[in-house]
Amino acid sequence: MIKFFFMIVFLVSNHIFSILEIEILKGSDNLSKVAFVPFGIESGIEENYGIQISRNIEKNMLLFGEFENLAVNEMLSYPSSENDFYYRDWKVLGVDYSVIGKINSVNALGNLNISYSLFNINRRIKILEGEILGSEDNIEDISKIISNRIYEKITGLRGIFDTKLAYVVNSDANTYQMCISDIDGKNEQILFSSKAPIMSPDWSPDRKKIAYVSFENGLAEIFIQDLQSGERDSIQALGMTNSAPVWSPDGKSLALVVSFSGNPDIFLYSIRNKRLVRLTNHYGIDTEPSWSPDSKKIIFTSDRSGSPQLYEINTKSKRKKRLTRDGNYNARGRYFPDGKSIFFVHGNNGNFQIATKKLSSRYIETLTSTSLDESPTISPNGNIIIYATKDGSNGYLGGITLDGKARFSLPVKNGSVREPAWSPLLK
Amino acid sequence: MNKALTSLNTFFLILLFLSLIFSMFSIPKLNIDETQSIKVNFYELIQEDDILFDSSILNTTIKKETKKASVNDKKAEPSEAEILSKFKINKSDIKNEISKIKLSKEREDILRVSAIIQASISSIWIKPNSLSESLIAKVSINLAPSGEILNFDLIEPSSNNSFNESILTAMNKMTFLEEVSFLDRKLFEENFRNFNLVFKSSGEIE
Amino acid sequence: MRRLFMEPIGIFILAMLCQVYSCASNVSDSVERMQYASVAGEEYLLGDKLETNLDDKVYFDFDKSILDAEDKSLLEQYLPEIKKAKIVRLEGHCDERGTREYNLALGERRALEVRDFLVVKGVSGKKIRVVSFGEEKPLKSASNEKAWAENRRVEISLY
Repeated sequence: MIKFFFMIVFLVSNHIFSILEIEILKGSDNLSKVAFVPFGIESGIEENYGIQISRNIEKNMLLFGEFENLAVNEMLSYPSSENDFYYRDWKVLGVDYSVIGKINSVNALGNLNISYSLFNINRRIKILEGEILGSEDNIEDISKIISNRIYEKITGLRGIFDTKLAYVVNSDANTYQMCISDIDGKNEQILFSSKAPIMSPDWSPDRKKIAYVSFENGLAEIFIQDLQSGERDSIQALGMTNSAPVWSPDGKSLALVVSFSGNPDIFLYSIRNKRLVRLTNHYGIDTEPSWSPDSKKIIFTSDRSGSPQLYEINTKSKRKKRLTRDGNYNARGRYFPDGKSIFFVHGNNGNFQIATKKLSSRYIETLTSTSLDESPTISPNGNIIIYATKDGSNGYLGGITLDGKARFSLPVKNGSVREPAWSPLLK
Repeated sequence: MNKALTSLNTFFLILLFLSLIFSMFSIPKLNIDETQSIKVNFYELIQEDDILFDSSILNTTIKKETKKASVNDKKAEPSEAEILSKFKINKSDIKNEISKIKLSKEREDILRVSAIIQASISSIWIKPNSLSESLIAKVSINLAPSGEILNFDLIEPSSNNSFNESILTAMNKMTFLEEVSFLDRKLFEENFRNFNLVFKSSGEIE
Repeated sequence: MRRLFMEPIGIFILAMLCQVYSCASNVSDSVERMQYASVAGEEYLLGDKLETNLDDKVYFDFDKSILDAEDKSLLEQYLPEIKKAKIVRLEGHCDERGTREYNLALGERRALEVRDFLVVKGVSGKKIRVVSFGEEKPLKSASNEKAWAENRRVEISLY
């Protein structure tokens, strides 16, 4: 409650028809409480489907700590249709939203018709209603679709439960794996395994390919791997070291770093005609490029001022602009999906933390509190950042919602996990 | 003759102008913190104070004192005038002081109750996550003297739907603003019978 | 009057500087392309590594790629061995602090700093191979000053 520190501005006008105005700037630190009622089932369907589906939705919704739930055994009733639904049953339990649903059998082949509704208890209205046709085998996918719709309705943001995460696992000193999994950590797939380091994974905008850096031939090279076929192609760019590939928003080119004799500069590489165009030319280190969502600008790290700082370059006019001035280490910048803010690694008294900054202001806001945080990646809806950090010598992935209400860490894997890359949304 | 008239005219105009300026400065001033800005209907207050002074004990005590002075020492007539002039100054000072006290008391009450209302709404308003744009929405509220919310209306919705929804949800959660029931009735009618809440999102990441 | 006189001279000097700079960058680009051809194949890794009884690592400060006097004297002791070798491989590394891609570039800087020193001392640039692993291959996995100091290094191996 100490957090409720706010500015009070009152206006008592001296006009006769004056009206007092009270400003509310700060919201509550509390989370919305959602009740996930076990779905009702039509007779003849296996009983645990109803519980399974509501539990899946609950797990999804709670994944990033954005909501609070109501335990099933605390519920006063288990309605499965609007007729049995009484707002006061939920109001007394302090519930903000309730999810109910019903599974109906379509035919004997296991096809199901799943209907669901979402209620806003405080406003006493139904805010969402829907139906999905599916089968017994893909209950998990159906749950994800329903979770996305509920999430979108409550938060007004795109649902992200069907997104994926790419990351690098270093299970022992000589094993490096390029992996992808669902955002909840399930269905892990090893794309590529090597004795030499792997770095910098990045998803193509169509979610079909991943670009990354591999040292398998003794030096840093960029590969593009097709997720469906598993085929790998190296980019034969000139120079000693190729690194930090990032896809342009249209998927037609990569921004990457080529080093001629220890002078890394940013280049644009067109995938179709394999041409390299120079973007920066400076004797300092220029690296870690990333595109703005409108693909007009590229943010990059440069030590041209003596310490690593973030700069922005217009890809057409090649005009550069320095973005960070405070602190002696600001690197690996990425734009928010709305293009108005950036997030990056901020070095502060020997600690390296994830920070954000509005492009329009100078103020740097630190989000994390551990000391070796790096490689932040943002959810496609711009609400959650996942980053790599360390606990002793073991790397794991942590996450934080941008309102700072929730922190979480992803399930621990065998070995050191690093360099998360959040996939785009399915189009 | 004409010349004299016009010069008189201009003289009066200047006088009027000067008196206007003077009246501007003679309005009692309030000391208000930078974070709080308040404007009060001064005319009303001054009139009230005049009424108060006419029948006030202060005036009678002044009279009594002057009587006492005259009885005790007849030679003290010039000093009586002195005392009177002193009282005159004191009277205006006291007038100011009282209006200030009245004002600050009223102001304090309004500020206190407003702060409580603000805190209680802040504690239940679940702001939608990561709104990167700055948004403003205005809700008008009708209160009963008991503090019950009789009616509320989103009079100026923002452009963001989920922001508006979150405000409506919060307002629905709130049924009573108890604090106003302890207020002076007049103050309540003037300020809290009908007031506005302005919900703001600066778009900053918190 | 004097200012009027000085201005053209200033412009002339600037123009000269620009020309020198652009020439220099052209030259370095073409040199690098040549070297890349030799770096691509790592055939030398198949050959035997020459063992020396000298310390084969040079250490650096955080976010720095400058050789200090101690490093230079160590490299000088090394020079006879280096001159005998067919291939000199310089591997740049960083500690875990800071971002990975930036460290990759920094490791390269460090290795090149060593190369430049060796070239000045008369080692043929053609037999030097440079590679950076950034922070990907630490010697010590702990997160403390001691481990970091040991990880910020350039490793020299001779073939």
